[in-house]
Formats: sequence, C-alpha cells, structure tokens
Amino acid sequence: MKTRQFACVVVMLLVAAMTVSASGQAEPMADDEGAFRIAVVMPSATTDTAFSQSMYSALVTVQEEMGGESAIELVYSETMFVVPDAAAAVRDYATQGYDLIVAHGSQYGSFIQDMAPEFPETAFAWGTDVNTFGLDNVYAYTAAAEQGGYVNGVMAGIMSAGGQIGVTGPVEVGDARTYISGFVQGVESVNPAAQVSQTWTGSFSDVALMTAAAQTHIANGADVLTGSSQSVVGSIGAAQEAGDVLWFGTQADQTSLAPELVVASQVYDWTDMLTEMIENAKSGVYGGEAYVLTLQNGGLKIGYNDGFDIPAEAIDAAEAAIAGIIDGSIVVEP
Amino acid sequence: MAYTPPIAARIDHMEMVDIVKQFPGVRANDHVCLDVHAGEVHAILGENGAGKSTLMRQLYGMYQPDEGEIRINGEPIAFRKPLDAIRAGIGMIHQHFMLVPTMTVAQNVALGQPSTRGVRLDLDVVSERIVRLSEEYGLAVEPDAAIWQLSVGEQQRVEILKALDLGASLIILDEPTAVLTPQEVSDLFATLKRMVAEGHSLLFISHKLHEVLEVSDRVTVLRDGVTVGTRPTNDTSRDELVKMMVGRDLKRHEHRAVGCGDDGLTISALHVDGDRGEEIVRGVDLTVRCGEILGIAGVSGNGQRELAEALAGMRPITAGTVVIHGNDLTHVGLNERVKAGLSFIPEERMRDGAIGEFTVQENVFLRDHESPEFRRGPFLRFGDMARHASRLVEEYAVKTPTLDTPLKNLSGGNIQKLILARELSRRPTVLIAAQPTRGVDIGATEYIHKTLLEQRDDGTAILLISEDLDEILSLADRVAVIYNGRIVGTVDRAVAEPHSIGLLMAGIYE
Amino acid sequence: MNEILSATVITGMLNTMFTLATPLLFAALGETFAQKSGVVNLGVDGIMLMSAFAAFYVVLQTTNLWLGLLAAVAVGFGMGLIMSFVSVTMKAEQGVSGIGLQMFGLGMSSLLFKVMVGTVKTVSGFPRLEIPLLSRIPFFGPVFFNSNILVYIAFALVPICWWILERTTIGLMIKAVGQNPAAADSRGINVDLVRYGSVCFGAILAGVAGASISISIVNLFQDNLTAGQGFIAVALVYFGGWTPIGVMFGALLFSVANSFQLWMQVLGVNVPASIANMLPYVLTIVALTVTVYRGRAPAALNRPFLRGEN
Repeated sequence: MKTRQFACVVVMLLVAAMTVSASGQAEPMADDEGAFRIAVVMPSATTDTAFSQSMYSALVTVQEEMGGESAIELVYSETMFVVPDAAAAVRDYATQGYDLIVAHGSQYGSFIQDMAPEFPETAFAWGTDVNTFGLDNVYAYTAAAEQGGYVNGVMAGIMSAGGQIGVTGPVEVGDARTYISGFVQGVESVNPAAQVSQTWTGSFSDVALMTAAAQTHIANGADVLTGSSQSVVGSIGAAQEAGDVLWFGTQADQTSLAPELVVASQVYDWTDMLTEMIENAKSGVYGGEAYVLTLQNGGLKIGYNDGFDIPAEAIDAAEAAIAGIIDGSIVVEP
Repeated sequence: MAYTPPIAARIDHMEMVDIVKQFPGVRANDHVCLDVHAGEVHAILGENGAGKSTLMRQLYGMYQPDEGEIRINGEPIAFRKPLDAIRAGIGMIHQHFMLVPTMTVAQNVALGQPSTRGVRLDLDVVSERIVRLSEEYGLAVEPDAAIWQLSVGEQQRVEILKALDLGASLIILDEPTAVLTPQEVSDLFATLKRMVAEGHSLLFISHKLHEVLEVSDRVTVLRDGVTVGTRPTNDTSRDELVKMMVGRDLKRHEHRAVGCGDDGLTISALHVDGDRGEEIVRGVDLTVRCGEILGIAGVSGNGQRELAEALAGMRPITAGTVVIHGNDLTHVGLNERVKAGLSFIPEERMRDGAIGEFTVQENVFLRDHESPEFRRGPFLRFGDMARHASRLVEEYAVKTPTLDTPLKNLSGGNIQKLILARELSRRPTVLIAAQPTRGVDIGATEYIHKTLLEQRDDGTAILLISEDLDEILSLADRVAVIYNGRIVGTVDRAVAEPHSIGLLMAGIYE
Repeated sequence: MNEILSATVITGMLNTMFTLATPLLFAALGETFAQKSGVVNLGVDGIMLMSAFAAFYVVLQTTNLWLGLLAAVAVGFGMGLIMSFVSVTMKAEQGVSGIGLQMFGLGMSSLLFKVMVGTVKTVSGFPRLEIPLLSRIPFFGPVFFNSNILVYIAFALVPICWWILERTTIGLMIKAVGQNPAAADSRGINVDLVRYGSVCFGAILAGVAGASISISIVNLFQDNLTAGQGFIAVALVYFGGWTPIGVMFGALLFSVANSFQLWMQVLGVNVPASIANMLPYVLTIVALTVTVYRGRAPAALNRPFLRGEN
C-alpha cells in the first residue's frame, strides 16, 4: 500500500523535473508548409553570453534575414550537458524530418557519426571540430579562436599597467584552449616582460570556483583578466568587485555584462556559414565540408566596447594584428 | 512534542473491558478483560501469539482497540499515542529494550522529559534522581555509563528507572525474564516486590509458569486472543495453568538411551570471533552422535549464535576443527558442508534462511536450484520444481494461500516449517537447529519438535541450540551448557536437573 | 614554489578558503541535523539551486539583501517540507526522493531563471564587512575579519549547532530519533515531528547556502549554479562524523585544497591543471581513510519509522 503511495510521489517529482527541463526547450516557431526546418542542440543556455548564445543568436539572425518564421522554422534544446540526452534529442529532430540539425558541442561528435548515415536527407552540423567523418551529410565547424585571442592579447599586453595578466579557463580543450594559446602569443608579441598566469577549474559550469580563481589572480596582482566558457560570468563579477581590472571577452560580445571594464570581445559570427548550409541543402547538398571561422572569412570579429576609452595605441596595434593575420604575415599557433 | 510533568495520578484500579483488536487476517484480541489494583502483581500468561503483547500495546497507546474500553479509577480513557498513556501514569518495560545504545543512562532517562532548565539539558539533576531511585528500589546503575557498556540485566534496570522517573504508577513488564540469568531474575523479583510495596500496580507478562507462580498475585491466561480465565495465584496449580494455556495436557517426549550411534559431528577446540573482532567462542569441544539430539543450553549472548554460524560455514573459524563423518570441513564454505550432509536452520530466519520478498516456491529452491533433478542444461524445470514445492508444503503442513505468495506474508511458524521442510528434504545426516521455535506459535512448535524427533530416530545427528531451557529439556538426549564461549558442563538428559543446569547457565560451576 | 609560502599568498589563500567553505558549511551543518534524525537528504543541491535563484531574484527586484536571504529561507523550508512529506510521512526510499528533489530543483530553477530573468544579470551582493580593529591585526585581520556577513554567520553556527545537539533537550530528541526511533516513541516523543523539524531546519540552512552563492560569492544566477556542491556537502557530513566541528574541518579542508590548487596554477607551479583540480577530492578521500577517529552513523539512518515494526 504505502509502497505504491510513495512510488507515486517520487514518480510525480521526477515527471515534474522532466517536464520542466523539456518545456524549456522546444518552442516551434512555425510549421508552415515549405518552411526550412532547423533544430539546434546546445550544452548550455541560449542566454549564456558565450558559446551557446553565439550559435543561437546567429540562427535567429539568419531566420530574420531569410524571411522570418514563415521561411525558417527554428527549434532548440538547451542545457543538454548530458550527452545521451542530447543524442536522444537529435534523433527526435531527425525523425521529425528537420532539414538541418546543429549539434553545438564537441562532445556530440560520436553520436553524429553513428546517426547521420540513417538520415541521408538531413544535414547535420557539429562543432567545434573539423572532422566530417567522410560523410556527405555532415558538416563540421570550428572557430580559429587563437586569432581573436591574439588580437585580445595584443591589447591586453599594451593596456596592462602592472604586467600581470590572468587567464581563467574552464577545461583545457577545444576553443577554450586555442583562444588562450593565441592570447598568450599576442601578449608576448607586444610585452615580453608581462607575466600571464593560467588557471583551469576543471568545469564549464562551476561559477563559484571560477570566481575564486579570478579573485586569486587579482590577489596575485593581475590587472587584466580574460577567460572562456559560460562560467566566466564569475570572473567578470570578481573583476567588478575588485575594480580597476580589465576584461577581454570571447565567443560572444560580453560588453553588456560589465560595460565599465570590458575592453573588447572576440565575437563568433556563424551567420554566413549557416546561410551557406541552408542554401546548399535547398540545392541537395547536405554536408561534407568543414568550416573554420577566421578573421579572413569574416566569421570572427573583434567587438570593441564603444563606451570604453581604449587608448589609440591599443586600437592601432589591434588593427595591425588583424591585418597581419588576414594577410598571413602573422601566423598564430592554435 | 514532549512530555509534560506527571499529573500525580495514582492508579488505584485499571480495567480493560471487552477489548477487541483485529489485524488483517487475525483477531489478536477477542473480547479480552483484565484488571489490576494498586499494590498487585497481575500476571498475563500465554503462548507466543496468544495476544499478550497486542493487549499491552493498546494499554500503552501504541495501538487503539477496535472495540472495548480502558478505565482508570473507574473513568473511561482513550490513549491515542504512548504520550497519553505516560501522562496517565502508565509505564512499559518492553521485551526489546527501548534504549539508545550510544547514549548514557542519564541521557536515556532524560529523553523526552522536560528539563528543569528550559531547553538546556539538566543531566546532573537527572543523575541525582537516578541515584535516589536506585537506592530506593535496589536498582544499582551508574548514571554516566553508556548503555552499550551495560549487561542485559543492567539495561533492564535502566528501563525500570525510566518508568519510575516518569512517575509511572502502573508498570507493564513484557517478558522481563526472557534475557536474564537466574540470579538476575531473582534480583528483578526483589525490585518488583519493593515496587508493589510502594503501591505500584504491575502487569507481568510471561510464558514461564514457575515465575508466574512465584511473583504474581493473580494470573490471567490468554489463548488465541481470548481470555481463558483469571485465577488467584494461590488457588491454582501448574497443571491447571498449562491446561488453560495449551488447551490440553502437554505430551512428554521420550528420551533415548545415549551412545547408540557413530560420531556425526565432531567439534574440537573451536575458536570463533564475534562481529567486533573479539573472541566469542573460546575452545568448544563437542561430539554429536548419529541418532541423538545434543542440546546446547545457555543464556543469550554466550556464543551460541557465533557457534552456529561457524558450524554452518557463515563465519570464519579462527582455530580448531569441525569434522563431519570423518571429513575435515573446518575451512570450507556452506556449499561444501551441505554436500557433506549438513543442514542448517538459522536463528535469524528472515536474514539467513529465507528471502521475504521471494515467493514460497522460490524460497524452496534458494539453494537447490542447481540440483540436476531440477535442471535441463542451463534451464530450470519449473514443472518439477512446482511439484516438489507443493509436495513439501503439503507434507510439512505449511499454511500458504499459493506457492506464489511472497514468503513475508506467512506467519513465523509457517516460514519456519518451510525452512525446515527445505533443509530436511535434502536428507541431511547432520542437522544444526538454532532457536528453531523462537517466535513460532505453539502448533508449529509442536510440529517442529515432532519432526526433529523423527529425524533423530532416522539416525540424524542433531545439534539443537536453544535459549529456552524447557525446549532443551523436552527434546535433547544430552544437554551441554555454554557460558562465556565455553562448554561448562555436559549431562545426560536422564539425570539432568533443571536447577543444576540453571546454575551452569549462570556461570556457577565447579 | 617559494612564492607559495609568502604572506600575500597565504592570506589570499585562507581568505578564499573561508569564502569557498561558506556554502558547503551551511549545507553540511543542515544535513547533519537531517541525518542525526535519521533522514538522508540527497536533495540538498536542488534546494540550494532553488534558494539561490529565489534570493537572486528578490535582490534583483528589490535590491534588499535581507529580503533575498528571507526568500532563500522560505524556499528552503518549503523544499524541506516536500522532502519530509515524501520520506517521513509517505516513508519513501530516502535516496530516491532526495534525488527527485535535486532534479526538481535543477530543472525548476533553470526554468524560472529563463522565464523570469532570461539572461545573465548581476546584483550587488553582501559586501565585505571589515570588523573594526580586528581587521587591522596583521595577517589574522585580512584572513579572519575581512569577509562578508554570511561567512561570519556560517562559522558562528558551528558552536551553536554543537550546543543544540549536545546540550539541549531538542538535540537529545533528535539524536534519539536517529539512533532508535522506537525508544523515542516509547518516551512519548513524536518521531515524525522531530524528523520534519530536523529536515526542514537542514533545508533552511541549505537555502542559506544557496543564497550565499548567488548573493554573496558570485552575485548572479546561472543554470546549475551550485555545480554539485550540495553533494559535496552531503559527503562532508560523513567526513565530519556527524559532528558540527568535524563538518567544519571537512569544509575547510576541501576549500583550502581548492584555493591552494588555484594558487598553484596562478603561480605557474608545473602541475597539469587536471591533476590540480583533483586535489580537493583526493585530499578529502585520503583524510577520510587515514583518520583514526570516525564517527558512528545514526543507527536508524535511512530507515522510516513505523510503530510496532522494529
């Protein structure tokens, strides 16, 4: 008797939890006949001012540019940090006949490789990576994050008064690693005496530990900070609390988080890539290509904070670095 | 949440009138009547399952009667929870002590009582009260000792102190002597007499006749939930009470001449450690011959459980040997022992003998599912298994609705009969029976006893471990007494006297 | 390596230790009460998340920090009632209901954040509170007397919790209910009520723990803000041997290991980050295995109480 009662209660709780996580996601915006249907699965929230947001806002932009909800149907599943859940979501979308499915996370590659051959009429895109597995309906995409990292590093090296710079990283993989690699090279190119310290928290989401890491850098004398992943909001908060600390962002424009201390952000712009994928699909090409966002192809942009009084010297050096990377005279190691 | 000070209510007369309590499938109390006066010991006598504990739990507010009423000093009163009974001046000494082992005596006494200092504990004040009560009633205990350090007798004194400190004037004692040595029993009786002299009323629950005759003023006998009768102790006799309890005269079993068979089980210099690593069995030598029952008598906690588990292969043997029919089985596991002809009826039947959630049939095959008789290659022959199970259920008179009933829904007696059936169906030549009738109703007990005697007559060597001396005396051909992990004496049943065995059980020998 | 022993580094390290230890300490002290009464509440992390969001949202709307803390307390209490109802009244398997509560808290706090706030926003949380005079003491001042008020409250709770458990009639009842509920019942104590009280008190402290992250350490809310700290808190209760003081040492050890590894990385000590990240966990496990003293678990932990079944 009792057993049944409490089983009901537990099931109720679990169902509540599941509906909650599910209802936050799929929001069909149009199901008109003929609309191009896109689904995206992301590890964090669409509003993380970082990795997931960069993709989601690009999709929204593409949707607007190509004729709004009647032309493009867009659905998404966010906070899919559990890979099997993400795989299930992708399979659902594929079964429902979506035209383009974006699996926005390097941890999603293995199930895309398994699943794509079952749905040859569906275009799959995944990143950040460059491997299409030799399948003609899989796109891979990545960002040459080291390029923007280099530009940020050049500015940081010039603007750091004390020569102590802190990097707050999440896990030492993917574009988090390449961004910081480029950043360090950029600092070195203009200010070889500057000291760049790195910390990694071992988590993409542990904001409290990220905050403590940033505080540690500041206590060690750092006057410029940068970092990557959705948990950098903790670093920015620590910088705000300390005052007199500058921040360089990446992945998305982070100016809105702290207008008084964000100097510039490397912004990922996936719109051109997405537009091309959509056009390809309409003409019967579903993949087989790897895209890399670079400063050359306009996929990477440096967004300066207009409200921040950036020294002309720093702007000039940054623009020179951008030009150098584009023309190949500066080579940044990832 | 907690108790408020006693209402200084002295209970001059408590009556329970026409109490009916129904549980699913069984009427535990059927119009039971009972009363007790101040300064009186009223014994309640009955076999296990007669409804004594259920009746007392209603008086203590743990259950509510379906019909009937409880009156105190003539006024009807309803107890919804133990707190109500406590407030009315009723205390209960449970058979399984209601003590917190990690706490001290004073903390256990203070538990649930208001402190003289508001929310702050007043253990020093409580300790003073304990010392005063100890002296008054002859209940020596140290207030600062932790419960787990105390002997069973001392723990019982704490239970009595708890009730007295709450100001209880009517105290229920549920089988208070079951775990005591004879010496501790006589100390307890001395305390009870002082309490009665102070004007307390006592309800004394027991199934031991001689104690009831010794300590009580009146006796009420319950059988199958019904009051058989109430007698002034002075006007009744042992034989009359037995007849009232059992419903007929008890049959005395015949004992066999000793020394007829070969050695079945030989134990030499056996040493076994307890759960906490301390040595519990300290050098036991025993031989059980084929065709005899060797009874091991002793007070609980003297190494019986560890000895039985070691013999069954469930507990490592640190030194000594166990030999069955000439094969040394000291260091082999249970399965090897079973193949050598050993069967085991465990003391903790629901832990070591059966799985409550499994069905009757599954429990029959807990061990024998590998037997070739019930296997075809890797598959089980369910048809043959069902036939075998239903034959056993019938043969051993196990009362179960179906073979698919979960075992936990059966009564203790029927579970034990099923375990016995399963173990004996393997035709063992050596049987170890640990507490085979504990918590089993009288009908099943008699059936189990009869079965054990039949096995003995078929030539099985049986080691019977029991804390019930009456059971040992009625079944065993020889009696060995265990005390503090050693066998302190072995006597032939024909010449054994309960008194001398009782002394051995208390550790008084030489 | 010498740098790591300099005064600045040690001061910074210890100050960070107290900050990081605060949410763990609140949550673990609360869980100690629940477990002392015999209930394992694995839902701590979910309670922390819900309360962290509630505190953050109220502060975002009103900028009143104390109102935010009150919201966290109220949400914690409500979640505690749910946990008690399922595990005490309905006698459900405690592990399962705790995990249910944790999943509920994780999903619900994300949903509410998305619907009611939407994007990353920050609030101004509890400021550092320098204690006059004491904060001027060299070395000790910056370490002990330059934190926010929640840090002081957390550490002040340690002796208070000890006092409640060891020196009051309430503590005696809680421990008795956790060790032998039948004994407590026979003394007229309402076992279920004591468990409700202990679980809800624990949940309130878990709520404060959540608030201490969202309105004092990071001053914002994000999906899965606690990153599993509630589970660490449950583990610390075992580590601390079910005593407030043991729990405090556990929280400090875990946090000092974390701030130590961050400093190691900042100062460029040549250890791979992934190894450094493991340090707090490894150290905690090692400490747990080598400590000679180990507290006894409440005997009735994880066991629902039903009168007459024991």
